Amino acid sequence: MKKMFSFLKPYKKECVIAPSFKMLEAIFELIVPLIIAHIIDEGIALSRKAVVFKAGGILLLLYFIGLTCSLTAQFFAARAAVGFAKGVRAGLYEKILSFSHENIDAEGTSSLITRMTGDISQVQNGLNMTLRLLLRSPFIVFGAMIMAFTVNAGAALIFVVVIPVLFFVVFLITLKTIPRYKKIQSSLDSLTGHIRENLSGVRVVRAFSAGNIEKRDFNDNNDKMYAMSVATSRLAAILNPATLIVVNVAMLVLIYNGAVLVDGGILTGGQVYALVNYMSQILVELVKLSNLVILLNKAMASGARIENTLNVTSSLEDKGTVDAAELDSAENLVEFKHVSFAYPTSGEDFLSDVSFDIKKGEHIGIIGGTGSGKSTVLNLLMRFYDVTAGSVLFKGSDIKDLTLSSLRKSISVVPQKARLFSGTLRENLLFANPEASEDEMNLAIDLSESRDVVNSKGKGLDFHIREGGANLSGGQKQRLTIARAIVKKADLYALDDSSSALDYATDARLRENLKKLTGKTVIIVSQRIISVKNCDRIIVVDDGKIAGIGTHDELLAGCEVYREICESQNTEEEGSL
Amino acid sequence: MNNKEIYKRIAGLVKPHAVKLIFALLFSVVSVISSLFIPVLTGRAIDEMIGAGLVNFVGLTKILTLFLIMLLINGLSSWVMTLINNKVTFTIIRDLRKRLFEKIHTLPVSYIDSHGHGDLLSRMISDVERLSDGLLLGFSQLFVGVLTIVATLVFMLRINLWIALAVVVLTPVSLFAASFISRKTYKHFKKQAELQGGLTSFINETVGAVRLIKSFGAQDIEKEKFKEKNEEFSKANLKALFFSSMTNPVTRFVNGLVYATVAVLGAIVAIGGGISIGTLSCFLSYANQYTKPFNEISGVITEFQNAVACAGRIFTYLEAPDMKDTDAPMDDAVSFSGDIEIKDLCFSYDKTKKLLYDISFHVKPGSHIAIVGPTGCGKTTFINLLMRFYEPDGGKILYDGIASDSISKSTLRKNIGMVLQDTWLKSVSIADNIAYGRENVTREEIIEAAKKSHAHSFISRLEKGYDTIVSPDGENLSAGQKQLICIARLMLSVPPILILDEATSSIDTRTEIRINRAFKALMEGRTSFIVAHRLSTIRNSDLILVMKDGNIIEQGTHTELTEKKGFYYSMLNS
Repeated sequence: MKKMFSFLKPYKKECVIAPSFKMLEAIFELIVPLIIAHIIDEGIALSRKAVVFKAGGILLLLYFIGLTCSLTAQFFAARAAVGFAKGVRAGLYEKILSFSHENIDAEGTSSLITRMTGDISQVQNGLNMTLRLLLRSPFIVFGAMIMAFTVNAGAALIFVVVIPVLFFVVFLITLKTIPRYKKIQSSLDSLTGHIRENLSGVRVVRAFSAGNIEKRDFNDNNDKMYAMSVATSRLAAILNPATLIVVNVAMLVLIYNGAVLVDGGILTGGQVYALVNYMSQILVELVKLSNLVILLNKAMASGARIENTLNVTSSLEDKGTVDAAELDSAENLVEFKHVSFAYPTSGEDFLSDVSFDIKKGEHIGIIGGTGSGKSTVLNLLMRFYDVTAGSVLFKGSDIKDLTLSSLRKSISVVPQKARLFSGTLRENLLFANPEASEDEMNLAIDLSESRDVVNSKGKGLDFHIREGGANLSGGQKQRLTIARAIVKKADLYALDDSSSALDYATDARLRENLKKLTGKTVIIVSQRIISVKNCDRIIVVDDGKIAGIGTHDELLAGCEVYREICESQNTEEEGSL
Repeated sequence: MNNKEIYKRIAGLVKPHAVKLIFALLFSVVSVISSLFIPVLTGRAIDEMIGAGLVNFVGLTKILTLFLIMLLINGLSSWVMTLINNKVTFTIIRDLRKRLFEKIHTLPVSYIDSHGHGDLLSRMISDVERLSDGLLLGFSQLFVGVLTIVATLVFMLRINLWIALAVVVLTPVSLFAASFISRKTYKHFKKQAELQGGLTSFINETVGAVRLIKSFGAQDIEKEKFKEKNEEFSKANLKALFFSSMTNPVTRFVNGLVYATVAVLGAIVAIGGGISIGTLSCFLSYANQYTKPFNEISGVITEFQNAVACAGRIFTYLEAPDMKDTDAPMDDAVSFSGDIEIKDLCFSYDKTKKLLYDISFHVKPGSHIAIVGPTGCGKTTFINLLMRFYEPDGGKILYDGIASDSISKSTLRKNIGMVLQDTWLKSVSIADNIAYGRENVTREEIIEAAKKSHAHSFISRLEKGYDTIVSPDGENLSAGQKQLICIARLMLSVPPILILDEATSSIDTRTEIRINRAFKALMEGRTSFIVAHRLSTIRNSDLILVMKDGNIIEQGTHTELTEKKGFYYSMLNS
């Protein structure tokens, strides 16, 4: 877990201070039984009150120093744990933002979210407790044993027997329970998934009156988790009584042996007392240690998952050096040369031998059915995926030679799925271009035909959008995502089937408005003839291949696939709204 | 919701388990008392060791036998107590989660629309976990803690009044320290929980949208926003963590004070011959046992305060007003004819603004109603009202002459089939998605439905066919494929009323025309609302509702509306 622990570097100091002070505290704790033995043997036995008071004073002093040490340790441990978690969170977030589409497909959004939340808090907790206990507990266990030996080696032998037995009992039960806790965790994850799904699909669930079925499924999972929790806790519940009995049986032996030694004049009563005390200290610390083991195990599992995510190598190499913004525009803004592409998981070519060019300032339509590969063309152009054969050129340079950020800055895509962030409309627009002026934003709203949306909500740009755009209709979201795309200053604007929820009249006005983006190149991806009909040229994609390129009339005359689509949509004879 | 009310509700959760908890309490009494005998016996044993050659081994053996018996009783009773406590806690938590989940299905859709899903999720998952931890600690340590304190005091008072009194005098210090820390901690925990909610929401939202962020090259902006939230949360986190971790050292220090006092005072009394050394050792053990529960109780209080904050959030959610339904004893199997009358319907989301108002019309069974209008004109709102996802502010919707608010929602919705604008699929197999909401559907029926909606061909091309699991975010299927599955879902049994909300918007055109034909067959004899764009659909419908700015501004047949030369007419010619 090298990468993850590198976030601990700034907290080296804390990581040394916290356990050191904990150890100091432990040392003071180990001295206490000796002082009590001193009070008994020197003070009470010899009736010397001064010894008692002096010892009492020392005790108070020890406790006070212990408090100071321990507070210091807690503070530094908390600081290291929180700082570390903060660093990991930021690092992980940055890493996730750097993921390619392929990486995201492979990792899965929901598991990435778990990495960012639950896993990090496990690791934080694990580190905090480790700093506090990992040195202290074994130190007290073995320290107590050594102290016992200094009191009397013969009597202390029982410590040598009992410590391994205790370790065995504690770790056997702990290690047995750990895999069960993991199962409980994964069943909690499935509950989470179930709830999430029901929240997002509340309308469908209700439309199908499927509430009872959902409840039944949920209850099944919930009951399973309950049964597992109870069974696991039954096992875990043995730990305390078992260790208690082991230690106290040892105590019994200790007392009896002590009595024999006292009878032989080798030990004093005070010393037996000290031995008994050391035995009980061991018990307390071992229980703490076993809790730490459980915690650490969880933390390690979470840590390993985080480390894996941190170590994912981006499937896209960003080795280009050329800044796309600094390139003089070639005649062809975009060029696809014999491009083939297969999704890494499938192996079969999704696009094969696709070639076309787009000139600067052109309005291009791309039409084709579901799964024909229209969106893939845009994904390749944005270099979300790398082509498997052929090349994609932007302003005459292979896009692999351009820096990723400059390429993506030059192209503004409106994705199929209209997604806005919670926050004000202004924040959503500034997302596309932090430097956009008020006028630019208003222009984008007008061009995207969103003016009436904004007016209907009042508050203008400060209108607050809820999480998931819950207070907007599908069509309103689409228009605002188009406005956002316009705010971005780009050479090329691409709309990926992003007016599907718009009525024809609004869609038509919108396309008209896009022509006002003078000198800008526009790509409109759609399933509808009406949306692309008036483009300068139309590219027809069918089954991953290009079926034809040309104007509406040319394609009507010469492209079979295009004609079929037209016929199915009756654009010639019927009008539409 | 104030703390008193929260406590009351927590008590309500615990109440059904009172009998079990009383048993647990009994076992804890046995466990505490037997554990308190152990130091007494140890003390007596030490007293038997008077000096070299003076040890009474017969007495010692007796004492140690008793020691062993007490030990076994203690171990057994504390084990049983733990088992009962665990079981009770897990049962409470299971039942609570069940209620929370059921609540999703009784809340008005508007509540779920207006609350962040991340926030609701964290109430149902992490808040419940915290409450569970709090309850478990409460049951297992609070009982034992309080009992130990009381029982120890009684034992000590019986042995020596003065030393016991000294301990009592020091008690308030311990209590004060504990309550001071827990109050501080609670404040910080509360703040931390709030910030954590915000941070989680942000992570949920942006991690789900990484593709979008990258296409805008907005990584830096998001990173900056994240940094701010991360910073803010970490500050609160540090405070909460440090204050809660002060509890242990401080109470340990107070313990130390008590221990030292007992040691000194006990030794002085012992020198005066008041008590034996064994009794002093017993006292010292008690001093340890007496103050340890304070340590634990303050830990429990901290955890419990935290749990109470979480419980507050849970109960606020649980007690959100439910949607209205009717108690009308109407048979679920009732099938509508499709006669729909709308009378003076009014509705708006923001009650200060007029949106949909004074809508009236009447359609006979089997009518086709086209809803047309510019984007965002409020078509979704109208559907929300038809399906009773939202309740009208005024007016009535009558199905077969019966007001919708006297028809149970499940009956109503069984009679209406719809394909929504946003597709939603469960993360189960495609077959289960098609059979969604129904029981005992055979594979043949599913395939038949898929064939009718033209989904069969793409489904059978998938590697696992109908058993393909839809990924949680549905990203292993294209938008069109998902919509095809949604249509197949409807095909399985066609209700008498249909709402087709731009059902075919993202299905490729050649399939679209086939589906349109299938739809036409479906719509035959069924009252159908179609959010329509195609002129042919609109023209052939029995009633056209023209919507603008959230309201229906014109209605009539194509011919009527064209002659009227109103908004519809102007749209036709745009």
